[in-house]
Amino acid sequence: MSQIPSDTGSSTRSRSRVLVSLSLLFLLAMYIAPLYVGVYSASLFRDAMLFGLMALGLDYLWGKTGVLSFGHATFFGAGAYGAAIISTQFGMDPSYGAWLGLLGGILFSCLIAFIVGYFLIFGGVRGSYFTIVTLALGVISVHVVLTFSEYTGGDAGLLGVPPLSFPTVDGFRPLSQLGQYWFVMTTVCAVTCGMWWLCSGRYGALLKSIEDNEQRAQALGHNTSLHLLIVFVGSAVIAALGGALYASSVGVVATDSVNLILSTQAIIFVAIGGRGTLFGPVLATVCVIWLEQEVSSINVQLWPLFMGLLFILAVFVFPDGVLKRAEALFSMIRPVSGPGGRA
Amino acid sequence: MTTILPMFLNAMTLVSILMLVGLGLAVIYGLMGVINMSHGDFITIGAFSLALIQSFGGSFWLALLLAPLIGALIGFLIERSIIQFLYKRPLATIMATWGLSLIMQQSLQLIFGAAPQRVYSPITTSVEVLGVNYPAYRLVMIAMAIAIMVAAYLFIRKTRFGLDMRTVIQNPEMADALGIDTKRVFAIAFSIGAGLAAAAGVLLAPLTVVIAQMGINYLARSFFVVIVGGAGSVPGVVAGSAFVGGTETLLNYAIPATLAQALVLVLAIIVVRFRPSGLVPG
Repeated sequence: MSQIPSDTGSSTRSRSRVLVSLSLLFLLAMYIAPLYVGVYSASLFRDAMLFGLMALGLDYLWGKTGVLSFGHATFFGAGAYGAAIISTQFGMDPSYGAWLGLLGGILFSCLIAFIVGYFLIFGGVRGSYFTIVTLALGVISVHVVLTFSEYTGGDAGLLGVPPLSFPTVDGFRPLSQLGQYWFVMTTVCAVTCGMWWLCSGRYGALLKSIEDNEQRAQALGHNTSLHLLIVFVGSAVIAALGGALYASSVGVVATDSVNLILSTQAIIFVAIGGRGTLFGPVLATVCVIWLEQEVSSINVQLWPLFMGLLFILAVFVFPDGVLKRAEALFSMIRPVSGPGGRA
Repeated sequence: MTTILPMFLNAMTLVSILMLVGLGLAVIYGLMGVINMSHGDFITIGAFSLALIQSFGGSFWLALLLAPLIGALIGFLIERSIIQFLYKRPLATIMATWGLSLIMQQSLQLIFGAAPQRVYSPITTSVEVLGVNYPAYRLVMIAMAIAIMVAAYLFIRKTRFGLDMRTVIQNPEMADALGIDTKRVFAIAFSIGAGLAAAAGVLLAPLTVVIAQMGINYLARSFFVVIVGGAGSVPGVVAGSAFVGGTETLLNYAIPATLAQALVLVLAIIVVRFRPSGLVPG
């Protein structure tokens, strides 16, 4: 594929064009969804989009630099618990308490990521060691949540996290269900597009070079450890934004927003959506969570089996995501003339 | 003495379990470089084999003989069907074995139910050790674990297969050229690792709650046993499990158990950061 640069270039372009147009179509459907299926059912999409932010964060790290984190729910959970604790435990007025919680949750997660990331990345921990250490990080965070149950609510979790408030004509008012839904949609879209724009140019190429050969990127004068740290913290911030918004829109935070299952689900979202595509993982999150609902409604016990199967399929059948595999199949049954046909 | 000795023996109980689990992983991860996220589930398979054999009236000792074979067989099938295609793709191995782990856990739960399985300890008496009463089973377990460790060490060091294995690990291409069947060596090594974890599961079962998710508790810890100790040597596994098991047991006396487990992992991460090749570099 690499022999004819123009060929791969246009194929990538057409692929990303397909992805962007798919995303736009999907987005439109998501925006008007509550008007059709009702606000309650739409809250499923809202939560899925917030998990999508976690997947986006992980994709920024794993997809762009090749560093796999096996404990990304730590950052989602830090955001969620940070927001919940700050907004419920200090007796603040919910109109600004919710916002402070959002900010605090993100900062908290950012701090953890900075300390852990600085310690590991500048210590030269890479590859599978990094994955195992982040697995331990996920285990540690669950233990910490369970230990400090007076603040975190332990197994029962924290209730009564206030929704975000916005100024209206009669003072600060909490968002309605529908308002919350649209606020979340807009935020997720803005962040996803922002990340895509950020990674589409020179910066994306730089990250790619670090993924391909860190030593060579170093030799070219890039401070690769610093770049990796920035990506790690950035990906934690994105995941924490998802977590903090999740806390304020659902109103409840429990250990399922920090546990190992969620961390590994994030990996599946990215793997199915297509590593490094940014839009793909967000789309995949919504699809997989919808699938989870459907499968679980048949039998709750079936879903973990499906998840396991998805992992194995992701490795053997679609290592570059479902869309690319579908595209490859499509071009196999339909002979394509012109550039892009060999993809 | 009356307070220190039980503390020491409790530590030895955890250390000996971690030693067996870690030894299995040291073969799979330390030597072969396969990050096997389903390693903890072979402990579960061992414990469930014990429950099944005892429910048919079989003895504990029969289970201790059969369970490693069951674990090794399942390990062999998994290596042949999935892992052998992924030796060049470490991240893919992580994902595939994690998927396997989910499937194994959920299948066990679907077949046997979510309630804890009933297992019986073969020895229920306690004996007096230097003036302290201590459960005899735990002492036997520690002895068994040490015996298995010694046997594994001799197996790797003194047998023809152990030599083949060390050759393949040092240089697969060269080993191939010398006429060693590397595929066979990898498959057997993986099975041995799985079988060791299953043996640990049988020994552990009478001391814990036997449920389908029991193995996950040992996954992160067993990785750190291998990494902290120094990837892939028997003395390394001993050092690693002494570090992880010993620290955790001691911390348990001072702080809540969940925090102790968290703190041990934090310490382990710090050790890995400053001594990436482990306490006993190979």
